[in-house]
Amino acid sequence: MLKYFFKRLLVMIPMMLAISLLVFGALELTPGDPLTAQFPPDQLVGMSQEDLDALREAVGLNDPMLVRYFRWLIAFFTGDMGYSIQTGTPISQVISYLLPQTVILAAAALLISTIFGLIFGIIAATKHNTIWDYLASVIGVIGISMPEFFIGIVAILIFAINLGWLPAQGRGSADATFIQNLRYLILPASSLGLSLAAALTRYTRNSMMDVMNQDYVKTARAKGLSESRVFFKHVFRNALMPISVLIFLRLPMLIGGSVVIEQVFGYAGIGNRLLTAINSSDYQLVLTIILMLSFVALLASLLIDLVTALLDPRVRL
Amino acid sequence: MATEYILEINNLKTQFVVRRRRVVRAVDGVTFKVRRGKILGLVGESGCGKSVTAHSIMRLLPKTAVIPEGSILFHPEGGESVDMAKLNPTGRKIRSIRGNEISMIFQDPMASLNPVYNIGDQIIEVLREHSKITKKEALERAVRMLELLSIPKASERIKDYPHQFSGGMKQRVMIAMGLICRPQLLIADEPTTALDVTIQAQIIELIKEMQSEFGFSTIIITHNMGIVADMADDVAVMYMGKIVEFGTKEDVFLNPLHPYTQALLKSVPILGNAGEDKLIPIRGVTPDPSEMPPGCAFEPRCDFATEACKTCVPGRVGVTDSHIVRCVHCIGEKLDD
Amino acid sequence: MSENKKKIVKSSLAKENFYKLLHNRLAVLGFMLMFVILMACILAPLLTPHSPTDLNLRHMGKPPGGEHPFGTDKLGRDVFARVLYGGRISIAIGLSGALGGMILGVIIGSFCGYYGGWLDAIFVKIAELVSVFPQLLLVMVMRVILGEGIKNLIIIFVFTGWIATFRLVRGRFFSLREESFVEACRAFGIRSSSIVFRHILPNCLGPVIVQLTLNTAGFILQEAALSFIGMGVPSGTPTWGNTINAAKELLNITNYPWLWVAPGLAIAFFVLGVNFFGDGLRDVLDPKQQ
Repeated sequence: MLKYFFKRLLVMIPMMLAISLLVFGALELTPGDPLTAQFPPDQLVGMSQEDLDALREAVGLNDPMLVRYFRWLIAFFTGDMGYSIQTGTPISQVISYLLPQTVILAAAALLISTIFGLIFGIIAATKHNTIWDYLASVIGVIGISMPEFFIGIVAILIFAINLGWLPAQGRGSADATFIQNLRYLILPASSLGLSLAAALTRYTRNSMMDVMNQDYVKTARAKGLSESRVFFKHVFRNALMPISVLIFLRLPMLIGGSVVIEQVFGYAGIGNRLLTAINSSDYQLVLTIILMLSFVALLASLLIDLVTALLDPRVRL
Repeated sequence: MATEYILEINNLKTQFVVRRRRVVRAVDGVTFKVRRGKILGLVGESGCGKSVTAHSIMRLLPKTAVIPEGSILFHPEGGESVDMAKLNPTGRKIRSIRGNEISMIFQDPMASLNPVYNIGDQIIEVLREHSKITKKEALERAVRMLELLSIPKASERIKDYPHQFSGGMKQRVMIAMGLICRPQLLIADEPTTALDVTIQAQIIELIKEMQSEFGFSTIIITHNMGIVADMADDVAVMYMGKIVEFGTKEDVFLNPLHPYTQALLKSVPILGNAGEDKLIPIRGVTPDPSEMPPGCAFEPRCDFATEACKTCVPGRVGVTDSHIVRCVHCIGEKLDD
Repeated sequence: MSENKKKIVKSSLAKENFYKLLHNRLAVLGFMLMFVILMACILAPLLTPHSPTDLNLRHMGKPPGGEHPFGTDKLGRDVFARVLYGGRISIAIGLSGALGGMILGVIIGSFCGYYGGWLDAIFVKIAELVSVFPQLLLVMVMRVILGEGIKNLIIIFVFTGWIATFRLVRGRFFSLREESFVEACRAFGIRSSSIVFRHILPNCLGPVIVQLTLNTAGFILQEAALSFIGMGVPSGTPTWGNTINAAKELLNITNYPWLWVAPGLAIAFFVLGVNFFGDGLRDVLDPKQQ
């Protein structure tokens, strides 16, 4: 198992490098003076052109691209990510403050959608060919057909504005506890997770039906096991494997979707900051956030990958 | 009450309700008996209902299946007789029989083992379901059973997963799983069909060995006449949901009376039996179950068919005490269905 | 003559599939939804006299009714016209992105699947990389590099959309090239290109077409999401996403619901139609994979 973990980790490194290279390339192509991204603005104010040129030479901005790439990469991993041109704050500070909020949002959405997707999928599979099954699949298709921001808007209209149960905007107050601010998480996380929940319902149902027809389920019954034992030990466990693969595949969409959902709910996360940075052409910040988010996606997929391996002995070897 | 028979099936009917309330009569009045400690071979072409018969005994049928008629009387040694056809297919009673008193092994060992559990887990699962036994003891018994079935290095391999075994080895594991609770009846549903020819012989030998070691009764389901000739004591020949000929091995092989049995024997080579004769395939195809001929189901393919065959379904005729045939041309005592 | 016979066999299979599809109520419903919305978009000039971009300062923020069945937005543009004309662009973007992705995926997939080797290994890695990279972020990187515009959006969709098709085709090729009929073709000395195009590729078409519908639906949703956050089609062009953009302000959600309900439902119904239809197609063309 440990061996498998390290093997997966090793596979990830070239991917991370490839993504970082892409981002660095993009950074090279964007307009703007790289100096302004490397120093706080007040330090550069009042410097003469010669001073600036000297500084440029001193920090190696005239070095070959590959050298600059590795220097940039090392700086990135040591937390020296440069400065936002727009506000002058260190980017590492922006990220460490806002990234956790987005991760919490995505994780909450993942949790909600997995729980509901599994429950509805199991109901549809066990009651298969009944009205419940039919209903679950129709609602499932409807769920994946709605844009998530539209769901978010409707949710705000119903649950926040008309019913007044939950807050429509924001992330709660900074001095309240996490539990107190949980109210602010419910609507955005549910809207973000709805399409995944719908996809999971369909997928769980089909996966369960598939497994139920397998010979080894018949073997389990032939052993004299009770239906519930057959179901949980033999059917559900095996049905989970393809489901975890689906989650793995949908995870990047969840992280991308969080950017949109943050907009709808005015949720102070990294996605929101990303959009303001794009609109103000703060490219250093934009690309650093993008790099960071893709690393998060990669790490999350590694995690799901490990779960899959835990579930399936054939993958482990 | 220990009778001579361990299992008596009387006029068993198993039907599947398919789309639009159409009914497929997969098993349509099957009657046969399994002698205690003996091997019964149930033969027939694919689709004749032999597998459904076996699944009916275990009540492992899909939800669309019903048993509207007939009885399956199981007479366990030192226990009360039960009519398996009347039990609730998911109830406590049938579960205490499955895997414990009657075991079943299936056609495809590759698909019959759960890929995510190691084989030790899967074997002791049966044991622990039916008896109070610690995990350690159960594992020890599982290892002994695997050794008995000549799986090399059984104590190490018990922690391996199904995908680490070859097909033949998997079938041995399935047999171990079936026999670990010392059942009184083993139902082997085409146990060698999915295996290589060389492995087939090994598995057949193994089942025979185990049978003489433990003395359980066996129903072996196959389309291979050679296997029946090799191991069975009694033979039931099935065609389109009915047993067309039943008797001891000698009855059926040396004096086949039903034209279908005769044709079946002529169509396949059997080692040491009629070696020089030319093989003759059975003409025609099996009829569609939804468009069964009104008379004898074999009539359209039969060389001896007469007008009588076309109109009425032949009843069971006892030619001798042990030999029963469903053919209008056979003379003997008329039996009930 | 044999050519003739083949045609008959083919057409009867197609006929049978067509009838199967007709019997799938959801698929028929999906097709109707899709068709009605598509036709309404295409025939937009016949259905509304208004232009989707003309400002009308005397009719700003009018609720639905009368001359403007879906009302007008805050700049006085007719929402009905914006939904119809916007649909044209949104559907065109989704469909062309999916089609481009399909063509790319089929080409790369059949190459890799038939020849295997290092080329295959490289593309598998690229596919893996693109699929773990959140698509939305990729769009942003591309936007930073290429700037905004419909063409760039389609390029991005093609670039991310080939992967599912590629995997599908490659997988089919891997299993089919071991099949005896392909071996037989090789043994008869039939050219590789002929084996690929006449014998293997037709066997992949069903799932590929199903994937096309899925991708079209997915890209329409993405265009909407991207335009909604201002990262998609330039805001001057009417698309479903750009029209719904008004709902970004909380006040508009309650005060001007017609601004976002109509385009939101248009997206949802169209995508729903495509998905129902795609599901029906899958049942018919690819019964194994549910």
